[in-house]
Amino acid sequence: MTNGDNAFSELIQDYIVECLPLAEQAADGFLQLEARWGAGDLTDDRLETLKALLHTVKGNSAMMGLPAMQQVAHSLEDLCSLAGIKPEFRTRQVADLAAQGSSLLCELIRAAAANRGHGDLAIGFTTQVTKLVAIPETTTGAAAASDQRQGERRGGTAPAAADNVVRVDFRRLDAMLEILGEGLVEGAAVRESYQRLARRVGGATELAELDRTITALQKTLRRLEAALMNVRLLPLRTVVGRFPRLVRDLARSERKSARLVITGVDTTLDKAILDQLGQPLVHLLSNAIVHGVETPEERERLGKPAEATLELNATPIANRVLIRVSDDGRGLDEKKILAKAAAMGIGLRTAGPEQLQSLIFFPGLTTAEQVSSLAGRGIGLDVVATSIHALGGTIAVENRPGYGVTFVLSLPLTVAVMRSLIIEVDRERYVLPLDHVAETVRTDTEPLHRMNQHDVAVWRGEVIHVADAGRLLGLHGHPSPRRFCIVLSSGTRQRGILVDRLIGHQDIVVKSLDPSLGRPGVISGTTILGDGRVACILDPLRILEHKIPA
Amino acid sequence: MSADPAPRAENRLVEFADKLGGGPVNRTAEPAMAQLHLVTFLLEREEFGIAIDQVCEVIGVNEVTRVPHAPAHVRGVINLRGRVLAVFDLRARMGLPSGSVTPKSRIIVVEVQERMLGCLVDAVIQVLKVPAAAAAAAPREALSPTTDFITGVVRLNSRLIVLLDLEKAVLTRD
Repeated sequence: MTNGDNAFSELIQDYIVECLPLAEQAADGFLQLEARWGAGDLTDDRLETLKALLHTVKGNSAMMGLPAMQQVAHSLEDLCSLAGIKPEFRTRQVADLAAQGSSLLCELIRAAAANRGHGDLAIGFTTQVTKLVAIPETTTGAAAASDQRQGERRGGTAPAAADNVVRVDFRRLDAMLEILGEGLVEGAAVRESYQRLARRVGGATELAELDRTITALQKTLRRLEAALMNVRLLPLRTVVGRFPRLVRDLARSERKSARLVITGVDTTLDKAILDQLGQPLVHLLSNAIVHGVETPEERERLGKPAEATLELNATPIANRVLIRVSDDGRGLDEKKILAKAAAMGIGLRTAGPEQLQSLIFFPGLTTAEQVSSLAGRGIGLDVVATSIHALGGTIAVENRPGYGVTFVLSLPLTVAVMRSLIIEVDRERYVLPLDHVAETVRTDTEPLHRMNQHDVAVWRGEVIHVADAGRLLGLHGHPSPRRFCIVLSSGTRQRGILVDRLIGHQDIVVKSLDPSLGRPGVISGTTILGDGRVACILDPLRILEHKIPA
Repeated sequence: MSADPAPRAENRLVEFADKLGGGPVNRTAEPAMAQLHLVTFLLEREEFGIAIDQVCEVIGVNEVTRVPHAPAHVRGVINLRGRVLAVFDLRARMGLPSGSVTPKSRIIVVEVQERMLGCLVDAVIQVLKVPAAAAAAAPREALSPTTDFITGVVRLNSRLIVLLDLEKAVLTRD
């Protein structure tokens, strides 16, 4: 047996240990329901609990690549939903079928280590459930519902719980979102043409009418966007479900002891974001265990509990979701990181938390960080940061030397459409995501100061560095007058950038950068503006992080 | 029962292999007629040719948006019917000084490795077929390590057309 087989059989054992009790509980629960419903007591208070148990089994089975268990658990979930919605299904027969299914599930799980087959038994059961769930279509005669179900069956998936649920390939939602995104951009283009027209003609009553119609159209598109976004949301649970076990196992293999406490698993995010989120989160958790958490002996010496606690917490805030990943380990060794940065020729005038902030996510410094503070198995934080940025998110670190590290991820709820500010620098137009724009200030009202050959400004009582956008963007020659200062802000970091004009707010559809463009510093993507021209999207975080001499 | 299906499967495999084998036979019958189907264009004063099957279309040069800090051989990005394409400056790729866009300048839209890209050239000359036999290897002295995407030259009367492997030309990093 190879090592891989060993690892897999270990995982299977874990799966059995975790899921068998759940399946057994479900079987017991259905047996109780059978007795109760048989006696004419149609209460359904246990259904939700059972459904939750089965949901966990389904998730774990899917994770282990065990389709038979996944399907049986799924069918049982369907039965629960059906009985929950329709009291006429709370019969002894249905409960009996469910109990049989649960026993089958138990058997399948028990046999998981020995044999990964058993698909035929599972199919037998799911077919039975399908037939049962399909009854409403003949009895109620609802043609629409019937069509829907046939559609589902053609798709080869198990039937949905309620009449009103449709299964849709996620790619179709992606396509819809893309079309909607184009619609939003075109709406903005219509608005722009209208404004030009209004300037030329002016005053006509038809114009006011057109204005109202465009406003209404844009609002409708916005509502459509919100509705579509809502369809694409899934709870974080779908991603983090396997994390506690992963943390325990990894800690064990590192001869450490750690547990993961997850809160806010019901927080929802766009599936497209969730799909990309697992990897960075695993990176952060592994980093915490491998590099942050001390050995149990060391922890006891330090007066900490031998078992380390990792926390993963998700909270929705306005249009974003904050995910905090923290550990109670030793924290980042700031001195070593700064020393390494200096060795790499990254000059720093001061060494404060903001510098650390930018350094640990700095692409080139990854190796430095690994070599200095870490055991040499570090996973690049710049990789994590890049994938979070690609999702339109941000990442920040809060270091508590000796007491641990917290990474704060801020993620957008939506993916395709970005609210942004269009700016002009030396006659070139750029897009700045509004998420990080704290304020725009006229430079004639807020004079700049010079400090150590750098432009600074006083903003809300604090002195912040101000960079010239033209220099950030590699523009040479004679700059136009910079009339505005845009204050960018993320966490504790602020920086101003000087631009010529503010063109306006616009919803944009993000188009990714062609790989041949490399990773051009402060640009995160492109978009097509209302007039058909392409504009580059500025990455506020890179502007905030980069120590670009500007 | 166990003996029966196996030979049948084998037969099918043989049939399949025959079908596959049919390809090369046809091809060997053709070489006398083999032709290169090229799109030729101008960079500075040299004429270059690329295989037409790599070319999607040729468009005029409108607004090319500069991308800050992009590699020197990337001119910028354009909007092609709602798609954002990177535009390569083939002059820069060939080591020629970057030129300005003239009314004759064109962007050749190509597809390489399932990506659509634009190539900025000084002018597009023509689409032509030349016998494959007219192509010769480029003289080694005229090549440099940075131009290994030159695959050969075609002599056509008084013209000399330099053949490019476009995929190499645009995907090689410098």
